[in-house]
Amino acid sequence: MGLVTKSAPQNPGTTLVQTTPSSWREAHDSAIHSGGRFRGLYAVGPDEARCSDRAGRDETGTTIRSVFSFGDQVKVLSARAVPGRSGELRGAGASLAGASAAPAGASVTGASGSGWTFPSIVDILPAAAWDEREAHDLYGVDFAGHVPMRPLISHSDCLKSWTVPVVGAGTHQVAVGPIHAGVIESGHFRFHVVGERVLHLDLRLFYNHRGLERAAVGAPLDTGLAIVQRACGACAVSNTLAFAQACEEVLGLWPDAALKTQRTVLVELERLYNHLNDIGAICAGIGFAPGTMAFAALKERAQRLIGRLTGHRFMFGTIQIAKGAFCLAGGERREARQELRSIGEDSMRSWREVLFNTSVQNRVTAVGVLDASSAARFGTVGPAARASGIPADTRSESPRLDYRELQPPSPVDPTGDVAARMALRAAELETTLALLDTLLRCDLHDATAGAVAEGSPVGVGVVEGPRGATTCIVESDGTTIQRLHLRTASYANWPAVAHATAGNLLPDFPLVNKSFELCYACSDR
Amino acid sequence: MFVLLRQLHSDRKTAGIARPARRLSLAVRHVDAGSCNACEHELGATANLFYDLSRHGITITASPRHADVLLITGAITSRMVIPLLSAYQAMPEPRLVAALGDCAMGLGVLGDHRDLAGPLEHLLPVDVRIPGCPPTPEQILDALASSGLAGRATTLR
Repeated sequence: MGLVTKSAPQNPGTTLVQTTPSSWREAHDSAIHSGGRFRGLYAVGPDEARCSDRAGRDETGTTIRSVFSFGDQVKVLSARAVPGRSGELRGAGASLAGASAAPAGASVTGASGSGWTFPSIVDILPAAAWDEREAHDLYGVDFAGHVPMRPLISHSDCLKSWTVPVVGAGTHQVAVGPIHAGVIESGHFRFHVVGERVLHLDLRLFYNHRGLERAAVGAPLDTGLAIVQRACGACAVSNTLAFAQACEEVLGLWPDAALKTQRTVLVELERLYNHLNDIGAICAGIGFAPGTMAFAALKERAQRLIGRLTGHRFMFGTIQIAKGAFCLAGGERREARQELRSIGEDSMRSWREVLFNTSVQNRVTAVGVLDASSAARFGTVGPAARASGIPADTRSESPRLDYRELQPPSPVDPTGDVAARMALRAAELETTLALLDTLLRCDLHDATAGAVAEGSPVGVGVVEGPRGATTCIVESDGTTIQRLHLRTASYANWPAVAHATAGNLLPDFPLVNKSFELCYACSDR
Repeated sequence: MFVLLRQLHSDRKTAGIARPARRLSLAVRHVDAGSCNACEHELGATANLFYDLSRHGITITASPRHADVLLITGAITSRMVIPLLSAYQAMPEPRLVAALGDCAMGLGVLGDHRDLAGPLEHLLPVDVRIPGCPPTPEQILDALASSGLAGRATTLR
């Protein structure tokens, strides 16, 4: 029980900091310099239906919020643009440098002085590029200094509006998708190439955008759970857990020890089958069929076990707000532990075959390199960041989960290439299996969360899912959702995929892509 | 590599799956029109050695131009309507349409109506429905292998 007293906070963790559009950039500067990790930027209503009415929107004004985590504490910066008062931000954006979303040297334009304009922060925080484009597309917010503002979620027929101009002798474009040759989600890639060498990759995703966040507005908290679960099948536990934690923060609740343990088991089971899947997918990316089939079989065994334990092969419905009903006791628990050990032994044997196969290693070494500085600049999370040498594992700062027994995985040479991302997953598989073995020493019981604090209007949950830190922000009065924002690890990492692809051969793209193995649905929502 | 092959051989033996009696082929093209990725994972799993889709003569083709069945997952987002209809247009006659999963069948779809164009039935003639959220690999396999789809595709031809 020692941990409960240690981690039960006086303050559940999220502070809302009010700023103004004119101090928006300074607030971000200080958050970045005091070691904050960017977790997303979003606009708060009114949505596009009202945005189309220009006159109406100028009267209302809008609010944007930006989320930073400092260890287990979260700070939400908030700024409201009031019509007629934001003229002061003219020129605040300065010039953009280093942001991949916009070419260097672009100047400030568009500070119209309406209640919908904020200074852009992409020059000091390139990781926010997609967030600003999303807020522009869905909520009509303008960002002064973010030039050109390329559409992200809105799909324009005008190719020039969303691609980077690449010109020169022999350059041409190769368009792939949205429908791919295999069983893959929908997304469009436009490669700018010379011969087989990729110079630049423009992504056009969001084909699977179902408007889940807007569907959640006005819905009860429990309906939000179902909505977030449908955001992505393969990350269902991480996403719903981030949502449940955000809701619990809104309600002022703190999970008891049993709830922490069962949720940790669930999220680690999700990591187990995803990592097995991802190593198999990398083998598929280079056409190494024995590896693909071996890891597909291991993933199937893991999913069958998960199906037996939780009643669903993707653990749908296992995460609930303020309670948990995933129980595991006696013989069933011992059998599960046994099967996990067996999966562990077989996967380590299969991994050694992949690791010591020279043809495999030849194909994965020095391909799709993401160096540490780029990974930091793009705000990359999860295995992709760790394989580049960035210590980005939020499991050690998750007091709402039970990671006391987490052993750091064996070190992997952080070369940032496909080989490093694959080896890192194998190392993490061992950690996950060891942790599950420890957690399943005792039975799992029915669990609840108890009241520890007053409710708060904004709750933030950050969960380290298989692909990295997933953030869910819930603004609520305690019964219905006023704003839901889900910024998954896939969303955070897609720009890094495009960056790591540039300079490689076009036929290596599937391999580079699979080494990140991001979900489209999770980022499209 | 030999260790892997030996392992796969023994896994296949212990999986104990039957050899199918019928021998008609079926080429399937999959289109994700707004799925959550769970249906894709389960469809992908039908190829692993516990289910072995190919023993039924079923293949996932890379192009709709030589597909018998268009297998559609997801709630049909507005952004996927044109790619989906283009894929259908590209298929040779006779062609069949299968809805994989509850979303494609229009059951319990979550989302904003401005971003959704479904249900699928309003856009294309649906011949086979595979319910589930997501359907398990067995259910997908049963539906594709034993619903007489291959037979229908052949007789139509």
